Amino acid sequence: MFYLSKIEHTLRLPPHLLNLPINQAIKGELEGLFLDKVIADLGLCISIYDIHSIDGGFITPGDGASTYTVMFRMIMFRPFVGEVIAAKLKESDREGLKLSLGFFDDIHVPEHLLPMPKQFEPESGNSNQGRWIWEFNGDNYPIDAVDEIRFRVHHVTYPSLPVEQEKASKPFAPMIVIGSLDADGLGPISWWV
Amino acid sequence: MHHNIYLRSSDFLFRFTSIYFCPEFLKAKCLMNCEVALILERKYEQLQQMSDDPVNQVSQVFEKSLQYVQRFSRYKNPDAVRQVREILSRYELAEFELCVLGNLCPETVEEGIAMVPSIKSRGRVHDDEAIEKMLTDLSLIKKFE
Repeated sequence: MFYLSKIEHTLRLPPHLLNLPINQAIKGELEGLFLDKVIADLGLCISIYDIHSIDGGFITPGDGASTYTVMFRMIMFRPFVGEVIAAKLKESDREGLKLSLGFFDDIHVPEHLLPMPKQFEPESGNSNQGRWIWEFNGDNYPIDAVDEIRFRVHHVTYPSLPVEQEKASKPFAPMIVIGSLDADGLGPISWWV
Repeated sequence: MHHNIYLRSSDFLFRFTSIYFCPEFLKAKCLMNCEVALILERKYEQLQQMSDDPVNQVSQVFEKSLQYVQRFSRYKNPDAVRQVREILSRYELAEFELCVLGNLCPETVEEGIAMVPSIKSRGRVHDDEAIEKMLTDLSLIKKFE
């Protein structure tokens, strides 16, 4: 779900930007700071919506930059538990599915949240990757990358930044959505139309 | 030496908000995909007018979000989008219920309840007839796009 969140931020405007009109310079700094970043419990920042006020402009001793307190609104992407969202299939393996929205990728549907009874059909030559198939009333309904897939948000976590990461570990995901396909109306659209 | 620079933020404030000011969104805390599409499209047009090189200015998250909301909105016309919010606001819905219904556009009462089970929970005013009327009103907007 997209929300408008009002945020207050104290911003340091580096001196090389002082020749630009103030609103443009501040907007540029805010965009560099916030866009495509996750704020814990607020979600993923998509875009600045408007700037409500810019206060300050003081230069503290010893600093070349001026400091502003900015109140502004941003469009945030923040899924809530129970929300039904349409996504595309990114990966499918024994552990479940990975779905993507294009601008946000960390959506997992673990295998225990897939509709039952289900079966895993491994790809030839690679026993970990494969397709999941739902068996209903004697028919087989596979989960393919063709349709849009509707899932229900099961829960959302915001893991804290790791202090150190080993070289081979997966890139850090600041917001993880766990989804479920286990209800009426969920799964590939072609199952229900 | 201590330098103070006082800015008249009111000048800049007016110029800036006039670009993005949309009164209909002031009351909205949640935004439907179609509303976000209008906002981002308007912003993209602004960028194109203001700069010679709009493609570079646009970040990846902006482009991908725009793609997503354009792909998953049922209503493209700004009047239609306004109507959707207006119609759904007539029923006693929470902000998020309104937005999920506007995003998914269920065609039947069963689908609507499956997508947003909270509209039918105990103590709510909505019976099946009211829900059906609401969904019918929604589907009528699509036809006149």
